[in-house]
Amino acid sequence: MRLTQTSFVFRRVLKSLKELFWTHILTSGTMAMTLFIFGGFLLIQENLHGLLRGWGSQVQVFVYLEKELAPEELDQLLKQVRSYPDVERVRYVSKTEAWEKFKQTLGAQAGVLEGLKADILPASLEIALKGPHRTRAAAEALAQRLRGLRGVGEVEYPEEWVEKLGLLVLGIQWAKWVLGGFLFVATLLIVGSTVRLAFLARRDEIEIMQLVGAPAGLIKAPFVIEGMIQGVAGASVALFGLWLFFLFLHDRIPASFGVFAPGGGLHFLDLQGSVVLVLLGWAMGTGGSLFSLRQFLKRWSG
Amino acid sequence: MVRLFRVSKIYPPNYAALADIHLQIEKGEFVFLNGPSGAGKTTLLRLLFREEEATEGQIIVNGRNITRLNGGAVARLRQELGLVFQEFKLLPTLTALENVALAAEVVGTPRREGRKKAFHLLRELGLKDKHDCKPPALSGGEQQRVAIARALVNDPILVLADEPTGNLDAEMAEETMRLFLRIHEQGTTVVIATHDTGLLQRFSHRVVYLQRGRLVGDSKPADGERSA
Repeated sequence: MRLTQTSFVFRRVLKSLKELFWTHILTSGTMAMTLFIFGGFLLIQENLHGLLRGWGSQVQVFVYLEKELAPEELDQLLKQVRSYPDVERVRYVSKTEAWEKFKQTLGAQAGVLEGLKADILPASLEIALKGPHRTRAAAEALAQRLRGLRGVGEVEYPEEWVEKLGLLVLGIQWAKWVLGGFLFVATLLIVGSTVRLAFLARRDEIEIMQLVGAPAGLIKAPFVIEGMIQGVAGASVALFGLWLFFLFLHDRIPASFGVFAPGGGLHFLDLQGSVVLVLLGWAMGTGGSLFSLRQFLKRWSG
Repeated sequence: MVRLFRVSKIYPPNYAALADIHLQIEKGEFVFLNGPSGAGKTTLLRLLFREEEATEGQIIVNGRNITRLNGGAVARLRQELGLVFQEFKLLPTLTALENVALAAEVVGTPRREGRKKAFHLLRELGLKDKHDCKPPALSGGEQQRVAIARALVNDPILVLADEPTGNLDAEMAEETMRLFLRIHEQGTTVVIATHDTGLLQRFSHRVVYLQRGRLVGDSKPADGERSA
């Protein structure tokens, strides 16, 4: 396309945006709503992932010792546990340390411990698993091995809910794509309708352009550009809406739940997620226009 | 310039709008297509600017076979033609100048140059003071002159006009025909479809007669008889 034709196309786009202002606003708004819902799923998924990562790093196996071991026995036990390939690190918690930690946890209520002996809690080992082994099954297998070691009393490992959270994240991921898919198709049809309206509003102009030999690209380009603008505008509005929504949640969630602390708190979509959302809007706008144009301008498709 | 070999156009289920047409129009000729309504005049013109595709036969325009063309080639063909219609086909929201300049701009003429050319053409066609008027503010004859200016703005090799005087009174029709003659005098091939036999008598040129889709006559006046 020549430069003069490019300027012609942009003048037509501006004209259409002016003449069909509310139609374009309505379409961008619909796209914004669709992308807001999709982005919402993206945001929830991102945060649950973060949460899972945070908690995953905390998946530990606790080994309570039967009695205070002699230093050589403790060294030997630690050496043995550290030699397991699925163990990342081992920390020994003495009876005294356990007592102090417990008191700290109770905080203002620590008074209830008065009169109790400081060595009432058993010494323990806190065993962190290596990344790929942070699952319930791996923890269970390790626990079996640990139970057979000398000096080991009880062994505890993560409950099933950590895995259930993993399944929830997976479910959200799928819901995002399934619901997103439906919304995507619906939005394509809405964009298609806008293009149809714009097309009908300019039917005479298009017919005349065809008769004087305007290339198909010159006739199609303004509609496609309008679709792109609608898509990117819709995505930007959706992103802004999500950010406001995020700020609203951010101020409330940490106060009521402490659950996000391990993942480092709530976080907004990263640059990649934001770019994906804008690109999706762009693709929806462009795709909707092209889809509609194909139906109207079949004569040029050959 | 234009050659048709055994051209037919059949509409479903089995209506032959044109049947077995042989026709040759030389460069620089002025030809009337005449015949009653439904004779096939408009269909023949539509085949020439590829609004329709021939069912059978071959059509050559300016040395190029246009019988089967893709979208891009149709656009390129039309850039070489000037089309004029009975109903003018002007955009009511654009001024006369903008209507003419639009045709120049869509084929890649720079905006300023297109407007300059449009202005000159409108002035030549007697619309100097009307270039800023929108079509609803112009008379039928003036609108047709704007349409003719638009047809000429890309320097066509062939002008095709379908009943260009159909919506005009006798005086305006006469004036419009004189414009076509001026275009022809400048070397452009002109083909005009009309059912107005009065025009044919007043402007003596080659007449191709069509009836029920068939070519039934082709008369060329002697040199001395031609109007100018």
